[in-house]
Amino acid sequence: MNEGGIGLSGLLILLVLLALRVPVAFAMFLVGFFGIAILNGLPSAMSLLASEAFTLGTSPELVVIPLFILMGNVASASGMSRRLYDAAYAAIGHVRGGLASATVIGCGGFAALSGSSVASALTMGKVALAEMQRFNYDPRLSTGVVAAGGTLGILIPPSTGFVIYAILTEQSIGRLFIAGILPGLLLLALFVTAISLICWWRPEMGPAGERRPLGAKLRALAGAVPILGVILVSIGGIYAGLFSPVEAAAVGAGLVIALGALSGNLTLAQLWSASKDSVATTATVMLILIGAHMISPFLALAHVSTIVGSFIEGLGLGVTGTLVMILALYLVLGCFLEGFAMLVLTLPIFFPIVTALGIDPIWFGVLVVLTLEMGLISPPVGINVFIVKSVAPDVPLGQIFRGVLPFWAMMLVALAILIAFPQISLVLPNSMFD
Amino acid sequence: AVTALPVFAEELKFANFTPPFHTINKSVIEKLDSELSARTGGELRVRGYHGGELGSGPVEQYVRAVQGVADIVWGLPGYTSSQFRKTMIAELPGAIPPEKPGYEALWAAYDPHLKDEFPATKPLALWTSEPNIFIMRNKVIRTPADLAGLKVRVAGATAAEVAEALGATPVQMPINQVYNALQTGLIDGVITGASTLTDFKLDEVADAITTGAPLGRIAFYTVMNLAKYESLPAEHRAAIDAVAGIPLSKSAEDAWYAAADAALDAARADARNTVVDLTPEEAAPFAEAVRGVVEAYVKSVGGEAALAAMRGE
Amino acid sequence: MYRAIRRAADGLIELCAGLGALGLMVEVAVVIVDVVGRAFGHPLYGSQDIITMTMVFVVFGAMALCDRRGGHIAVDLLEPRLPAALNRAIDVLSALLGAAIFVTLAWAVYESAKLSVMLNLSTNLLNLPKAWFQWALCALALVTALAMLLRAFEAAVRPSAAREPGR
Ligand code: NA
Ligand code: NA
Repeated sequence: MNEGGIGLSGLLILLVLLALRVPVAFAMFLVGFFGIAILNGLPSAMSLLASEAFTLGTSPELVVIPLFILMGNVASASGMSRRLYDAAYAAIGHVRGGLASATVIGCGGFAALSGSSVASALTMGKVALAEMQRFNYDPRLSTGVVAAGGTLGILIPPSTGFVIYAILTEQSIGRLFIAGILPGLLLLALFVTAISLICWWRPEMGPAGERRPLGAKLRALAGAVPILGVILVSIGGIYAGLFSPVEAAAVGAGLVIALGALSGNLTLAQLWSASKDSVATTATVMLILIGAHMISPFLALAHVSTIVGSFIEGLGLGVTGTLVMILALYLVLGCFLEGFAMLVLTLPIFFPIVTALGIDPIWFGVLVVLTLEMGLISPPVGINVFIVKSVAPDVPLGQIFRGVLPFWAMMLVALAILIAFPQISLVLPNSMFD
Repeated sequence: AVTALPVFAEELKFANFTPPFHTINKSVIEKLDSELSARTGGELRVRGYHGGELGSGPVEQYVRAVQGVADIVWGLPGYTSSQFRKTMIAELPGAIPPEKPGYEALWAAYDPHLKDEFPATKPLALWTSEPNIFIMRNKVIRTPADLAGLKVRVAGATAAEVAEALGATPVQMPINQVYNALQTGLIDGVITGASTLTDFKLDEVADAITTGAPLGRIAFYTVMNLAKYESLPAEHRAAIDAVAGIPLSKSAEDAWYAAADAALDAARADARNTVVDLTPEEAAPFAEAVRGVVEAYVKSVGGEAALAAMRGE
Repeated sequence: MYRAIRRAADGLIELCAGLGALGLMVEVAVVIVDVVGRAFGHPLYGSQDIITMTMVFVVFGAMALCDRRGGHIAVDLLEPRLPAALNRAIDVLSALLGAAIFVTLAWAVYESAKLSVMLNLSTNLLNLPKAWFQWALCALALVTALAMLLRAFEAAVRPSAAREPGR
């Protein structure tokens, strides 16, 4: 069998293992490890296993994951997230699905800030899922909202996805940041539309509460002031240059702990148990990320992207055809690979094909980054969905996927609109630069 | 047409943690490939695996070569400076005279002073970048006093001491976070090579550049797994010997300088930037401020002889 | 006999998770001290080194606890449609596979640690030897492998005990 065949068989075996309920991370390790061993020798597989586990396990960027999980856990334990949702409910609870719309905006904001939809899904998941359940929202809607909401953040600056794309393709980071704004707002509008449609069609998914008098609204808002203050300090600190988004995670967690302790709502025992829960969730997430990083050298050694690249080139499709082929491929690969690993693996091959066709690299960047996020929530193996599952252990995976589906469909709509109207991505950068 | 495929074709895997258009590709990877291929009738080739395809990040590059994930890797001694204590002397301000090529200095010291720092591999190239510069946002540096209290991103312990000796507050962070950190004002600037202006897009957020201060330079290596090298037939080893060493190192260093010059020229052409070129007199106070750091480091690693060899003394 | 092993294993699992939880508290404290210090011109020397190396405990400390709580995510879409015996066999084999993966990981990292000693690798500012943290990773991975072996045994012999009560 040639290298490409080995690569393809590896992905098929991965799918079979997943269907047989082998834990996701284990299946990725197994396929990645033996794939590398076949293509490059056992010592190489051993070495990559050790170096990927240690490199990711000591990554200064991934420290946001445990820190934000901790922040979410402590905010829940000390009742802060409860008061945040009480305030949101008092404000817009009378609208069907209002809480879901508020959450999708919150997730988008969080992801925009942290630069990571994974961190957003984890933190907002810890906070939002239980709270929305309290107000009788269907878990399908709430998990879908949390999984999808984070994808907004990658389009809104600062976005790590755009930074990586820009460095890999020699494009301007500033232009890409600006280019993502309108598509991000478009997607947000589509998500809110999806929520409204779902709740209009099935009101029991996000039941409306009664309208509250102004006094009650203000009282609820006052209760949420501490947690709103934490959010404000964390966001303000990043934009004021006091700390990086990574450090904001620790500052946020520290503030939540301090406020909980000072108000008497957080005992030492609660803090300890929140911290232990946080590292357990971290273990789940990091093991999947390390597993995904074992798949990517395997696919590199199998020259999968080169093979697919020359296949697509050979088809001789036009601009739109090639674009759709490439994006479809990103959708498939995005199911198996961690987002940034995928950019690294594929862009060097696809970008020259795309530029040769005269496709605007900024526009392509927006499309790629959006598609990449879609892949992360695509059934049956979207990594972000597994991550939501890790904070919602009681919700069956099938339900989460069904909940994600409407938002996935909206992303497809957004993608179609962005392909049809390149101006949406390009009008801001073209008017602000040059 | 009948293509004469060589009977024995070996493809060496070259692990590159940067994108395929990075300077390393043309100046080292493609050069190795074309020259080895030419000398062996196409029997020995080199294939680049870019952007960390063979494992993430620059830190584990040397280990990848030793453990055979890749046959050849390139990397920065500064990422694992404890391994390259004497090699790192080349990075110190003023260690190598400005007019002397870095690769000449490194190879002059390699045998016997630096060799022990490269176990289990065969170095194919050793070279340095152009001298480091100040890349700042909203702050123009003309004298060491201009740096007082500024937050400056540096890589490594000695660089941190250099920044501190100049009165700045050294900040450690991964290079790919520097863009956002400059934009939000988390840091005021970076001490590094000019090529980062384009490689990491710092030209978009920086607006003040100062050249001519002695701030050291950055060293690089390209090494090959020694067992792999020794397993090759004699004529292939001979081809590698002919291509590697000074010629390959010079190719890399020249390309680095060219990239830096291009980036600096572009920065000068941009009217929004202030570019300060210090005269030797203006640079002297900077050299004075960092002299102690350099001497202390060389002494701490017992590197007096290595330094003398690098300087050609 | 079995109960004693289970108790000892749970104690070990808790201990490792406790190390992780403690590490996470350390991360919060170190970053805050660094951020506040930097605002006043005195960042914490070597904070990056502490943050990254403590991550080993934060990431790998609770791998065993995560497994004990059934936290390793699997695609459960087909579970209701498969016969009970097959589901049980999958549980046992998955746990054994997990144990094999973590033993392999421990071994691979142990081999790399030898190289770290040979190359004198340590963190850039504080010179903390890299091998220390690789050995820690090995130990935590071996505890995880043990926990998974025990779970495999339980899934085969006493399915009701394989997961922590209440999860
Ligand atoms: Na963002
Ligand atoms: Na992401």
